[in-house]
Amino acid sequence: MLKNICVTQFNLLKSVTSLQQQVRTTFVLKRKYDPLLHKTNQKPRRMRAKHFIYELVEDTLVKKSPNMEVVLKTFVEGVGDKGDVVSMKPNFVYNKLLLPGLATYKTPENIAKYAKTEAEKSAVKHSSPYAQRTVNMLESIVLAVIMNKDEPWVIEPWHIKASLRKAGFHCREECITLPKERIEGPDLRKENKEFNCTITINKLEQANLKCRIHHWSTDPSERLPYVLEHWKLPSEPLLDVGLPERSETPEKQA
Amino acid sequence: MAHATSQGVKLLNGFKAPSRFEKGLGAQLPDAYKKFWREWKLTKPAAVHYIPKEREWERDEVTHAIKPVQSIPLPLIDPPESHQGIWGGEAVIKGFQKRQQTKRRVPHFWVPTLQRSVVHSLVLNEYMSVVVTQRTLEQIHECHGFDHYLLKNLACDLRSTLALRLKREILKALQSGCPALAAEPKLQSEVLKEYSPYLESYTSEEIEWYGHSYLEAIRKLQNQLRAAEQVVPHKVEFRSKLIEQLREAGIKEAGKLETKEAQPSAEHKDADIEALTKLESSPSSSSWLSKINPFGKKET
Repeated sequence: MLKNICVTQFNLLKSVTSLQQQVRTTFVLKRKYDPLLHKTNQKPRRMRAKHFIYELVEDTLVKKSPNMEVVLKTFVEGVGDKGDVVSMKPNFVYNKLLLPGLATYKTPENIAKYAKTEAEKSAVKHSSPYAQRTVNMLESIVLAVIMNKDEPWVIEPWHIKASLRKAGFHCREECITLPKERIEGPDLRKENKEFNCTITINKLEQANLKCRIHHWSTDPSERLPYVLEHWKLPSEPLLDVGLPERSETPEKQA
Repeated sequence: MAHATSQGVKLLNGFKAPSRFEKGLGAQLPDAYKKFWREWKLTKPAAVHYIPKEREWERDEVTHAIKPVQSIPLPLIDPPESHQGIWGGEAVIKGFQKRQQTKRRVPHFWVPTLQRSVVHSLVLNEYMSVVVTQRTLEQIHECHGFDHYLLKNLACDLRSTLALRLKREILKALQSGCPALAAEPKLQSEVLKEYSPYLESYTSEEIEWYGHSYLEAIRKLQNQLRAAEQVVPHKVEFRSKLIEQLREAGIKEAGKLETKEAQPSAEHKDADIEALTKLESSPSSSSWLSKINPFGKKET
């Protein structure tokens, strides 16, 4: 360890050519038996078979490669915004960022070149690099909203919140926008009917969530028969319920 | 004895076989190619498969005896496949393994782990699918790009004719000002500014002769020589001479003596020849009988 430190110090003092450190990602071998010494400035002796017995010093391919740092040229979903310096695994960086031209190598020139200008900073388009992922996940599911079959109810944001929690999403009631029309029950005509509501993420991104009403009773004999994988089956939209309002100016929303 | 040979007195230090650049067509290869050859074959490549010993002397671990370091390089094998991909200086090693102390040594080949990947050349504006190793990719990242990797490294470190060919193409493209990026002038100027320092170490002739194998270089030289000497058939040469003589003699069928043009153009020469052939054939063309060759093949 101490040796390594000494070597690096020594290298720094040397010329520029030796600054580029050698990378080894391959078999590194050494001779098991050293050949006999030969006269200086003369041909080496004829080697015998035992001098070609090699031992593996290290196979650098099995070592974990360190993360790579790159500068993003544009906003990349799930990675970062323009001008960010991100540190990720080298294979992902090369295949998904460098080759498609979404990022460049981290150099002082590139950092200065792709830094965000003031105009770009003020025009916020994305609240976070990961928000779009949540939008995609929310838009891909069909949410089962399970309501009481015996007691009267009107659908409110907290119903959606509880159903989302059952599906593994935690969100606050303020983020949920229901359709303008009241949805009342119990009404078996509304069983397995679909309506849409809007989820606002970070007060900016909006996701359209598909919800289906299902009735459920505390009395086991009163319950409706279970339908296997009902979210895969097509369903009808709930009549006289329109789409919720999607605010055009997201900044104003609470 | 020594005086009778072509090497003369030099033979006293032992007979020296002529090298590939001293005999045959190889002797005519330009210095630009020899410079590349020195860079490719006669330079010591960077340490890939061994840890280089930097010191001049070392101490034996067991006996503590001091002995000089004489590092003899491991023999490396470049299979034909290594020239179809870019292995980043790696090669196949042939040797033995001693797996157990009491057992006989076992032959073993250490072969690099290959993978197919895409590399992007900014200068050529192209994506290429090539067989590479992990080391190649790491070197590309270290040099900050594929073009930089090719241009920074010497031919002995690239160790692949494909890489050398690409390097020549890139150098040629840089010399002609990146024609592949003509659609984007801004990017083109940036790329030229970034990569033009590499052009300083090559002349245009060196770029022309860079990255050829010996056989390719000989083929190239042969083609150049063939193009240089234009073989004109004697028939044409003698005819034109004859026409000149006829004109000087003042025979009117040969045309008038030209004084306006110092050198008659090639087309004109051909026209003269045609005229002469007409002249020759004109008396015989009158009778159709003379055209018939009684010993010719029968037409059916």
